[in-house]
Amino acid sequence: MSVLAAAPGAPSVFDGFANAVALVVLLLEFGMLRASLLRAQVRLYAGQSLAVSVLAVVVAVGHHVPELYVLAALSLALKVVVVPLLVLRLLRDADAEIAGSGALGVASEVLISIVVAAFGFFAVGVLDIHSNVLPTAALSLSIAVVLVAFILMVVRRDVVSQAIGFFSLENGASLASLVVASGMPLILEVAFLFDLLVAVVVFGVLMRTHQRRSQSLSTEHLDRLRG
Amino acid sequence: MIALPLPLIQVLQVLTVAVAAPGVSGFISWFEARLQGRRGPRIVQPYFDLAKLFGKETLVPEGAGVFFRIAPAASLACYLTVPMLIPVLTSYALPLGYMGDILGGGLILALGSFLVATAAAETGDAYAQLASSRAKTFAAITEPVMLLVVFTVALITTTDLPYVLGATVRSGPQQIVRPAHLLASAALFMVILFETARIPVETHAGTTEFGMIETGRTFEHSGPHLALLHWGSAAKQMVLFVILLNVFIAPWGMASTTSLTAVVLAIGAIVAKSVLLGVVIAVLDNSYAKLRLFKITEFVSAALLLAVLAVFTLYLGGG
Amino acid sequence: MTIILVLLVVVPLLTTILCAVASYRVSAAATVVTGIAAFVGAIVLVPTVSAHTLTAIRYLRADALSVVFLLATCFLYAVTAVYAVGYLQTARDVSDGEEERRAYFAQHSRRFFVGFNAFAWSMMCAPLVNGMALLWIAVEITTVISALLVALDNTEGATEAAWKYVLIASSGLGIGLLATIFMYFAGAQVLGQSYDLAFDPLLAAAARLPDTPVRLAFVLAVVGYGTKVGLFPVHTWLPDAHAEAPTPVSALLSGSLLAVSFYAILRYYQIATDALGPRFPQTVLLVFGVLSLLLAALYLLEQQDIKRMLAYSSVEHMGILAIAVSFGSPMALTGAMLHVLAHAAAKGNAFMGAGVLVRKFGTKELDRMADGVRLLPWSGPLLVATVMSLCAMPPFGLFRSEFQIVAGGFSERRNAGTAILVVLVTVAFLGLSLATTRILFRVRPLSSDGRLELPTLTVGEPSWWMVIPMVAGILILLLLGLMPPDQLLVLLSHAADTLRGRPA
Repeated sequence: MSVLAAAPGAPSVFDGFANAVALVVLLLEFGMLRASLLRAQVRLYAGQSLAVSVLAVVVAVGHHVPELYVLAALSLALKVVVVPLLVLRLLRDADAEIAGSGALGVASEVLISIVVAAFGFFAVGVLDIHSNVLPTAALSLSIAVVLVAFILMVVRRDVVSQAIGFFSLENGASLASLVVASGMPLILEVAFLFDLLVAVVVFGVLMRTHQRRSQSLSTEHLDRLRG
Repeated sequence: MIALPLPLIQVLQVLTVAVAAPGVSGFISWFEARLQGRRGPRIVQPYFDLAKLFGKETLVPEGAGVFFRIAPAASLACYLTVPMLIPVLTSYALPLGYMGDILGGGLILALGSFLVATAAAETGDAYAQLASSRAKTFAAITEPVMLLVVFTVALITTTDLPYVLGATVRSGPQQIVRPAHLLASAALFMVILFETARIPVETHAGTTEFGMIETGRTFEHSGPHLALLHWGSAAKQMVLFVILLNVFIAPWGMASTTSLTAVVLAIGAIVAKSVLLGVVIAVLDNSYAKLRLFKITEFVSAALLLAVLAVFTLYLGGG
Repeated sequence: MTIILVLLVVVPLLTTILCAVASYRVSAAATVVTGIAAFVGAIVLVPTVSAHTLTAIRYLRADALSVVFLLATCFLYAVTAVYAVGYLQTARDVSDGEEERRAYFAQHSRRFFVGFNAFAWSMMCAPLVNGMALLWIAVEITTVISALLVALDNTEGATEAAWKYVLIASSGLGIGLLATIFMYFAGAQVLGQSYDLAFDPLLAAAARLPDTPVRLAFVLAVVGYGTKVGLFPVHTWLPDAHAEAPTPVSALLSGSLLAVSFYAILRYYQIATDALGPRFPQTVLLVFGVLSLLLAALYLLEQQDIKRMLAYSSVEHMGILAIAVSFGSPMALTGAMLHVLAHAAAKGNAFMGAGVLVRKFGTKELDRMADGVRLLPWSGPLLVATVMSLCAMPPFGLFRSEFQIVAGGFSERRNAGTAILVVLVTVAFLGLSLATTRILFRVRPLSSDGRLELPTLTVGEPSWWMVIPMVAGILILLLLGLMPPDQLLVLLSHAADTLRGRPA
């Protein structure tokens, strides 16, 4: 790895813009760490899915892959509209608003996530995987999104935040697939999306069951099964 | 075409900052009041305030040491040294501009802040000490942010000179859109909000003692010392504005030759740009509420996050 | 033959839809019939795929490796379907009374049969689909359906276990998705930008795939799909989910779902060995296998709940499978394939026996059960035999498979690994057999206040529907141990050959 000789020239406008959109995805992931209102989390997830759809359109325009338009439209309909609506409806029924920041304070969580994201960046950098669709920075950012989503799932103590963490993990995986697997046949990508929808439905059912049983969305007391 | 000698232009840089700084402060107060529907103070009110304070007597608390006496003048000197190192009026480097790079500029700014904080700590006054300890606590996170922003500059241009970065940014749209640049600018903007004591960190104009960080450090000074401190903090604000504008966001409008007209236009340009940035800050002031003290750590850690990501995307992604 | 392939994929889906609308009796009958038909269909496929790979409608593919796992799933489908009839009936007999309890039972059993059939359908699809991406989708579907099934009982423990399961397993599959993506990327360098990850082209091009993406994809696959297999350290959902699910579902989860997820890892292993050489994939599998086995063996020594104990035994056997594949010799791989079949039969039996115990004694805690052999004249001894078989005693199938694995390990000079395997299996044997013999042969239960509290239990089986599958399971274990049919042996050795990649 070259140290401090990193000025070979700026990336092209396309690359820079794509990187900026991928960066927005990561920043929204960090925003989810910070959001203590459950509704804010859901909205941030919707924004993140929107950013991923925008990036799909950018790739479609820049590399002339018309299938990605369909994918972007579908993922917009599904991840920006349907999934947040389902979760918001659950929140309305559950009548819970505030989740708190989880097991640690926001600043500590952000610092830990920075370390974890750094690990992700360095790992992808070492692997030296280059795709000619999007710059490698976008791949590093997507792996960082996945890792920070794990942190989100670990520190949060309520089912909705954990579920949103899982959904944003899928967003990170979609971002990675845009970088290295954008040529995948449309049918497979659509199948992935519908699989996600099924998973969302199941998550929703289980969240409701949990909420009905324990009258709250918190997972603090889910520690009966041990050993 | 009268060509100005370079040393004169260098002096003009310092003078522009020194003279225009209180005016920028005054403009921000006036504009904010206007946004709130009030008439607001005169834009040139800070000058009158400085003149008034220079005429008053100085009182020194018992037990205050040498820092208390020298801090006002020394910090102003620090804040006025930095304009020699950064591009204020010209897009080419001036003779003394190689005296220190942007890292050196950051260090001098930190030195000025340190002097003021020590002076406040020497006074034995409760509010002043509280304010200076808070300032240094948060500075533990904002100083690394400044450093990381500097590193971003270094990584993009492989030099530390702010002039070169300005030229790089001017060179094409791809430089503006690249994420590292956007992130570094955002991080620097958040640090500016902290250093110049604006919402969401503290209320600049009010004196809510429990929330004071920057404005509390000058509590015990009076007379000319207070004038110098106020002038110093206005100068610091202008310097930080100039760094953000002329190095990161809007490096246009600077003189590329030594002709008089170009320099005069450059003076007008930098004042105009500072005023525009002041408008943005006034709008932010009126849009958000002050953060509670313990939430300021979240704010500065968000700035740290942006700066770290800037370095990462640059270092590892070529972005 | 291809028609059978298509039928295997379509019919359970139709049964699922039928059970959504039909009455209890019709659903039960349809489920049993479909299960037995599926098992027969799988057996019919055996001779064909031993000779060549079968493909149908472009998205289905069966080769020797798939049919091994398909056999395990279909066998369990059949026996647990029969068992489920008895299981639900014994719950029903309790509730035959007021109107609303009957309605609750009707709803519960409808959900059960719909979920059960859907679960079995998805597990049968997974070995039969053609392509890495479709494989991921199939495994994801098994996760979501089984999560709903785990929560079916609607107790505190069940909801907790279901939430934990779905979160951890889905996150693992998220990593599995990354593995699929990176494998796609590796293949795209050779096969062009737009291909659909079908097995045959990918396997043909495997030797030319670039190193780093395949390495990354393999490790991500082991960690990601390994979450569903129950490898350490991502096994934490397993004891909870398997313990809290209804018993027929637990049997399917332990016997079949873990194996199907391992099948996914084996597909990645196949490509990785072709692309990278055997060393790296085998080391990775060995490490995970040994750690899982170690953890399971230690935890088995101190279990309080019978189904949890069996769940840890599943972790142990999955660790053994991983170690076996890491040995790499033909005998070890054949042993691993046989192990899949025998473990399915044995674990299914064990869970069914545990379910009978739970129905009889009304509790899952080991300390509160006693004197099983006398009270359950059929299930008791059958359970003893099953647990002995789980501990790899002769003459059962697991003895033969583990023997082959150990012999294969020594033949490849993996002495250290094999020695660790044997030691840890012995420790696990200790834990399992101590607990089981305590329940079945001890005369009085160990109650917490010291006084014995023998509820007056009558001697006799709760339901004959629950005994017959156990008998079938034991017979299969004996068959596999003493005299495996020749066709089956040919199938197993072909499957092992597939795993070893192209002969050098």
